[in-house]
Amino acid sequence: MKSLTHGNIKTAVGSLRTTKWRSFLTMLGIIIGVASVITIVSIGQGVKQQVGQQVKHFGQDLITIRPGSATSGGIGTLANTSSGTLTSKDITAVQNTAGVGESAPLALVAGMVTASGGGIYRDGVVIAAGEDLPDMLNQSLAFGGFYTRDDTDSALAVLGKHAAEAMFSEDVPLGQSFTFRGQQFIVRGIFNEFNVPTLSNDVNFDNAIFIPYGMAQQLTNGTSSAYQILAKPSKPSGTDRAVTALQASLLRVHGDAHDFSVLKQNQTLATTNDILDLLTTLIAGVAAVSLLVGGIGIMNIMLVSVTERMHEIGIRKAVGATNRQILSQFMTEATVLSVTGGLIGIVLAYIGDLCLRLFTSLTPIISWQIVVLATGVSIAVGIIFGSAPAVKAARKDPISALRNE
Amino acid sequence: MPIIHLEDVSKLYGFGDATTLALDEVSLDIEEGEFVAVMGPSGCGKSTLMNVIGLLDRPTHGVFTLHDKSAAKLSPNQSAKIRRDTIGFIFQSYNLLPKYTALENVALPLTYKGIPLTKRLKMASNILERVGMQSREYYLPSQLSGGQVQSVAIARALVNNPKLIIADEPTGNLDSAGSRLVMELLSEIHRMGNTILFVTHNPELTRYATRVVYMHDGTIVQDEHTAIGQMARTARRAMFKPVMTEEDDLAGVSALMKALPSKSSKRKKSNVKKPKSTSMRRRTAK
Repeated sequence: MKSLTHGNIKTAVGSLRTTKWRSFLTMLGIIIGVASVITIVSIGQGVKQQVGQQVKHFGQDLITIRPGSATSGGIGTLANTSSGTLTSKDITAVQNTAGVGESAPLALVAGMVTASGGGIYRDGVVIAAGEDLPDMLNQSLAFGGFYTRDDTDSALAVLGKHAAEAMFSEDVPLGQSFTFRGQQFIVRGIFNEFNVPTLSNDVNFDNAIFIPYGMAQQLTNGTSSAYQILAKPSKPSGTDRAVTALQASLLRVHGDAHDFSVLKQNQTLATTNDILDLLTTLIAGVAAVSLLVGGIGIMNIMLVSVTERMHEIGIRKAVGATNRQILSQFMTEATVLSVTGGLIGIVLAYIGDLCLRLFTSLTPIISWQIVVLATGVSIAVGIIFGSAPAVKAARKDPISALRNE
Repeated sequence: MPIIHLEDVSKLYGFGDATTLALDEVSLDIEEGEFVAVMGPSGCGKSTLMNVIGLLDRPTHGVFTLHDKSAAKLSPNQSAKIRRDTIGFIFQSYNLLPKYTALENVALPLTYKGIPLTKRLKMASNILERVGMQSREYYLPSQLSGGQVQSVAIARALVNNPKLIIADEPTGNLDSAGSRLVMELLSEIHRMGNTILFVTHNPELTRYATRVVYMHDGTIVQDEHTAIGQMARTARRAMFKPVMTEEDDLAGVSALMKALPSKSSKRKKSNVKKPKSTSMRRRTAK
């Protein structure tokens, strides 16, 4: 039986090679289907991993407090960033909550930035941030240093990498100055590039100008309010306890109105992953339809092939091939067709992956599971759609098959 | 004990008004080692008889046993296995796979027996040597002459060492040299103890046979034993004493048909079993 299977595969490959162009067109459906499913799933996984790395970079214990309520698993977190604000009472409440270590409020401050050269900077925003921000985000500075607790009322600023490049035409603009809301600020430090998640709803920190929170309060007469407060538990393992404590103390401040959210990093991650999974499944499902179409193409061509080779079937039966042996010959042929298509699709997916990595910021990840799945689906398509033509061939009466020249 | 035993075997094709009676209550016994020539005009049921005996086709009525096994009880798969192991087919149109080399064509029946590749190619090569085609092993059928192609087909029929060889007009597409080559091969196989059934239109070829069966309209009208090397009497009569009239010629009646005893007279012949008047009636009704 082993030699028969081997012979079948050889026969199948031989017959596919004699009709190369037709076989290729038949395989096209499977090729496109497999390549697109793998590519889409790999992009999804790549983005997921990028987000995951971001979270690891920030640290699993980072707690984010945002205005507006968001339920975990919903898509509310993305929409509610700017609705409502957090007041200075909230900031104080967070600082005073037991179990919470460092915390840093983030607030957007409106106003025009004029660099010392006279140019107006329009690409980014001014963020009033607490002095613990670099610690919270595990973010390092390229030059200079961040302002400290003592500097909270000073006119100092730290620039994102791109902001520094755009405002001052020099590499290290430490000590340079710019004017914001009539106040002259001195550049104290410049951040390294932020490792921003691809689908982050945060403002672009690389284009931003960071000023001390106290200074911002002075400039705006205390009207500026935070859009987000970052906090860390005093002990690395105390995240959950800190979150519960924060919920309680903020509820007290808000008069029992649940119009804020306390999110853990993995919660943010879960939300993003949910959306990504949903999107990936949806698009992969659409792509999978082409596998079905490809399967029907294979069935069609196999039926034509059986009719064309009726005489051959007659000869084979006359020299003693059983129905089952004819069946397995044509099943093998259909499967070889679909598996070859699947393999070409996998190779194309790898090439597509390479191109995406080279020409876009995406880093798709082709996991072995998806490759195994694609191969399995190809085999299944061959067997399912090859069976009807193969049964037709096997059941053919030898005499009428032989008469068919 | 005959290896082939047919008793009142009929074969009908089609339905309703289009029904054709290809075999009409044929009874025939063939012993092991016989070299039987089947003659008759076109459409008289010779090929159908060969297909039924070769288990490619099933009789509609009647009893057919091959090696004491009733063909009616065989499943398609069992038939296929018996074809593979005990019967070798030779066709008028050769029926080789055009994309396979001579060697691969000969090895084909062994494939279905599950013999490993190298072994079956070796066996096929040995058989090709026996039919004098070893130097053409790697030729495609399209690169060989008619006689050579038929030799390859004979090699394929022999490769499983079958007891019975069925040849349906093996020389039909060949010139006299090719015919001679093929018939010499068949007669050599016969000398080795195989039973051979062959269909022919050529009376000359009855010289190779030990027995000649004449068919007409689906029945056996004459059955004649003959010595090897001698042409069968009835066939010779058809060849050398054509009793053709102009009307016969216009009606397309072949010389052989005229030479054969009429259907009603064959009923009296002793070696045709169970003559039945019903079959006559059926024929006239048709």
